[in-house]
Amino acid sequence: MLAQTYRSFKRDLDAKGIIFSFSGYMSEGILYSLGDAMRQKMALEDTDLNTIKKVFSVFIEQAQNIIRYSAEKVSASSVELSSGMVTIGTEQGRFFIVCANVVLDDDVARLRQRLELLRGMGRDEIKAYYKEQLREAPDEKSRGATIGLIEIARRASEPIEFDFDAIDGGKSFFVLKVCI
Amino acid sequence: MERLTIPATERSPEVDFDFAGGRLSIRGESYPEDAAALFGPLFAALDRFLAASPGPAIRFDFELIYFNSSSAKALMNMFQMLEKAAEGGRAVTVNWIFAPEDETMREFGEDFSEDLSHVRFHLVATPPDGG
Repeated sequence: MLAQTYRSFKRDLDAKGIIFSFSGYMSEGILYSLGDAMRQKMALEDTDLNTIKKVFSVFIEQAQNIIRYSAEKVSASSVELSSGMVTIGTEQGRFFIVCANVVLDDDVARLRQRLELLRGMGRDEIKAYYKEQLREAPDEKSRGATIGLIEIARRASEPIEFDFDAIDGGKSFFVLKVCI
Repeated sequence: MERLTIPATERSPEVDFDFAGGRLSIRGESYPEDAAALFGPLFAALDRFLAASPGPAIRFDFELIYFNSSSAKALMNMFQMLEKAAEGGRAVTVNWIFAPEDETMREFGEDFSEDLSHVRFHLVATPPDGG
């Protein structure tokens, strides 16, 4: 039964083309290890260098967003762990990266607005927007996320997809999917 | 000014600011947990170095393989400082070094160079072994 349960779980992941999936508390150390393993695996499979770099970049920005902005965190004196999920896979010969984490309902409107703006932009517009944000002096905390999301949109080969699912207690489950 | 060297870590680049020789470099990867903690001291040192007038000519080599968006912002800040110094008469040369097949790093170099008119900016495509 145990083997059946987990075989079925693994089969579901395989059927979705998932290469690896991490769910749980994320730290910068885990981010480094996962990113490193991912790059090595892709290099072993002779994946094009520029594709590896795009996938890696989107992975890092998404994982760092989870670490910084997940609404589910535990922290001790020197460690801060943020809960979320990162999944990388292939479909129709292309890589995709999905990240998910819980966000506060109060932040949903602003996040949705930023993502919709990026979703509606063409490649050149995204590039120009990135530069504009680079030039701006770092100010309020929330602005940090903007440039990260633009970087993600910039590496995507088609418009980013996102969704929110309301859960209890003033929180929502946020998902962002990016195809390279 | 005393030389500033910081060894690379898994997620941060090697820094070597040889102020006396006017040779500065940042090499490797940059996606630290806290970009401000990494770049803050670099900005402060660079700021003091650039304030010295007349100062020595500067050659700044950037040889980066990957950097995240908050590091990109820090690099932009650094370029703005260098441009200001160059505009004030300091001779500043930047070498942006990248692997020839690396389109992302080439494009970043092109993007950064667009804002620089007084800094001499060179895009240098170099194979990893210098061959």
